[in-house]
Amino acid sequence: MSRGCESYRMAEAKREEETLGWQVSRRGLLATLGLSAVAALAAPSALAQVVLSEDAKEHEGDVIVNVFLRGGMDGMSAVVPYAEDAYHRARPNLRLRKPGDASAGKEYQALDLDGFFGLNPAMASLLPLFKEGRMSLVHAVGSGDQTRSHFEAMNAMERGMYQMRGGLQTGWVARHLESTPRRNPTPLRAVALSATMPDSLRGATHATAMASLTDFRLADPSLRDMLVSLYGGGKDVMAQAGRETLEVLDKLGKLDVKMDPKAYPKSDLGRALQQVGTLIRSNVGLEVASLEMGGWDTHVGQGTVNGWLPSYLKDLADALAAFERDMGSEMKRITVIVQTEFGRRLNENTGLGTDHGRASAMFLMGGGVVGGKVFADWPGLEARQLDAVGDLKVTTDYRDVLADALTSRVKGSHPAAVFPEWSAKQRGFFKVA
Amino acid sequence: MKLSRRQVLGLGAATAGVVVTGCAPFARRLAADLPEDVSLPKGDVESTLRLVNRVSYGPTPGELARVKAMGRGAYLEEQLNPTDEEPLALMVQLQRLDAYRMDAAEMEELPIDLVLMQLQQGVLLRATYSPHQLRERMVEFWSDHLNIYARKGSSAFRKGTDDLNVIRKHALGSFHDLISASAHSPAMLAYLDNQVNVKGVANENYARELMELHTLGVHGGYSQKDVQEVARCFTGWGIENRFLRPKGKFVFDPEKHDDGEKVVLGHRIPAGGGESDGEQVLTILANHPNTAKFVCSKLCKRFLGHTDEAVVDGAAKVFLEKQGDTRAVLKFIFSDENIDQSRPVQKRPFDYVVSALRATGAQSDCGRPIQEHLEKMGMAVYQWPMPDGYPVKPEAWTGTLLARWNFAAALAKNEIGGTSVDLEKIGERSQDFAAALMGTPKVDSIKHVASELPTMAAACLASPEFQWR
Repeated sequence: MSRGCESYRMAEAKREEETLGWQVSRRGLLATLGLSAVAALAAPSALAQVVLSEDAKEHEGDVIVNVFLRGGMDGMSAVVPYAEDAYHRARPNLRLRKPGDASAGKEYQALDLDGFFGLNPAMASLLPLFKEGRMSLVHAVGSGDQTRSHFEAMNAMERGMYQMRGGLQTGWVARHLESTPRRNPTPLRAVALSATMPDSLRGATHATAMASLTDFRLADPSLRDMLVSLYGGGKDVMAQAGRETLEVLDKLGKLDVKMDPKAYPKSDLGRALQQVGTLIRSNVGLEVASLEMGGWDTHVGQGTVNGWLPSYLKDLADALAAFERDMGSEMKRITVIVQTEFGRRLNENTGLGTDHGRASAMFLMGGGVVGGKVFADWPGLEARQLDAVGDLKVTTDYRDVLADALTSRVKGSHPAAVFPEWSAKQRGFFKVA
Repeated sequence: MKLSRRQVLGLGAATAGVVVTGCAPFARRLAADLPEDVSLPKGDVESTLRLVNRVSYGPTPGELARVKAMGRGAYLEEQLNPTDEEPLALMVQLQRLDAYRMDAAEMEELPIDLVLMQLQQGVLLRATYSPHQLRERMVEFWSDHLNIYARKGSSAFRKGTDDLNVIRKHALGSFHDLISASAHSPAMLAYLDNQVNVKGVANENYARELMELHTLGVHGGYSQKDVQEVARCFTGWGIENRFLRPKGKFVFDPEKHDDGEKVVLGHRIPAGGGESDGEQVLTILANHPNTAKFVCSKLCKRFLGHTDEAVVDGAAKVFLEKQGDTRAVLKFIFSDENIDQSRPVQKRPFDYVVSALRATGAQSDCGRPIQEHLEKMGMAVYQWPMPDGYPVKPEAWTGTLLARWNFAAALAKNEIGGTSVDLEKIGERSQDFAAALMGTPKVDSIKHVASELPTMAAACLASPEFQWR
């Protein structure tokens, strides 16, 4: 067992003593002496030791598909706590009704999930997946960010921290790749389906950003050798990226990329998921795909059954459902994790929107999820139960979910090296592969 | 001048960053942020080039000789004091663009994609062909700083006016006037939702970004309570849409204003202030030391490639002494010493495209074909949805190289619609074609890989060196 794993178990054991009513694995108690997570953070070479102590291995486990909803998705509109009276009081205009509430049209009623939470009707395409145990939800989940700044909160999450602070520059996916060295690493280990590289991949070797798989071609192939020569020696980030780009071009040049335009919604997310599907099927060595969908900052007129937010929720749900359908039996080796930087204020504002809040919801999909469940240590929505300015409290650390995905679904991963200063409070989101 | 990695990072800052990650490969990767092998040219010619590269979007054929002849000081004065005059050819092209001439209400008849195309065209044309290069670079800087996403609602129809009356008008002027113009700009009022910020439950969007992104910075010492108080101060600031009124203009509606007392950053704003509540907030914020530090830190990063404390503090001191006079701050930043110690700055895609058009002396209408290349590089103008503006971290743009290479090849081979280059002409001007094109004598690798003019030009523009300034 590597020291990284020990430190994870140790930390887990330590947390278990403080745990209040959470289901936590008993294995933690068996942990022997090792580095604590905090010591691992302080020790300059902790991660290097983890890496050195193991030989490079082939990737074994799921492909992680990480969708980041930028702008702060209103978790209480996506996964509606319809059984809470306070929800209905705080959102007289924006609220969805209880399932079966005859005083409102069917389209205003949340789709029941578990007798307490309901799915937004715009996301109906995901309901069968939930019912059949292929999807789960996490609620009241988030980071420790108190600034309510998009950028601070995103920075924290993409760097795998509870709260943003100076120092830690690399992204959590970058550290995951670094702590699981491969024998024949390819720059397609991690792919961001966007022109700009997201912070979760910051500092990663073996990662590529591409806006479009089909456009990823050198327009004049005769320039290839010239580029290889120009980019042969430099050490700056662009020179390194150039070499990786050339490698990816060679690799993708051998693929026959055919995609059925009717299989996915015609949206950026739909197109991006379809390309991820193509990469997974092509077995190019993809381990983590990072996608993003912007536009969730619904300060004004977010809409209840028509409008901005419902249309975004529908696009998200339909694209995820299309991916699930398209991948079929491949889903057994795929874990989809949808997250956002924060949720939104409980009270609607006068512009019929919602301001920046704290906790939101996450969506999990794939063969490895413990499906058909809403994981929530629900803090409640009465005034005394809310965060300072009237926000849903964070009771589940988003890192617990990401770390559990790595621990349970990717062999040889080192969550303690990926998430410094973290110790598991909750597990059981995923089945151990 | 070649900097070692330790020099480049500054030892203290580097170790603080590395201890937490605690891993040698990461340290290397981070140090790579500031490339040690992108050598900064030295000597007489090169010191001119270095200055031109800091101040402008890079030299056009003949520009280095011009600057050398006039001297560094005169060049800087020229750039710090732009006039409203533009070359005739540029004026003729700009006058065709309705998006800058019509007001928002008239323009709503036009398809949004046409308006967006024209806005991008205007910005690219000015950046490429205006002799007032520093103003153009400041326009890019402030357009990110006060970012507006043109695809949100009717923003596209309002951004042209915002560009002229907010960003461009105050690009080298008073910071207070700039953010005050922005606070009154219909484009900003709509983008950050202040037009629906009314008494009752105030909308916090503008108040928060005003402090976090436009002035103090996220750690600039404000609280969530301050966000709510500032939001109250700006209640009633909106866009006129009443019958028979000047539709689409700024309006203060006292009916929608929360007229109670507010406390902002410890300053008491008495009840009954009406529209002056917001004005007072802008004054408090514009003259705050943390604003000085935040804005100067961003300027140093953009123009000098670093945020060394001494230089940022020096710039912030000027900012405070001169009441946010951007021209004075830039004059400090562009001191001979600061220019000589500046470090490489990665060209973001907009910068890359404009510097390539300038280097090749291209004749371009900057229309759709050029814009499509920019889009593939992930940087369509005014189309970053979040209020922080396009990223400045070099690592954010590493995925754009393929698109840059394809652009370089297409430009060099005259394959971009509406754009043409005459490479023979550049060849005539200089003994050394590659040196003329890249502005640096570091051309051995280019000669090694290419012999034909178009291939040489493509190689220069596609090279790792040309990705930095």
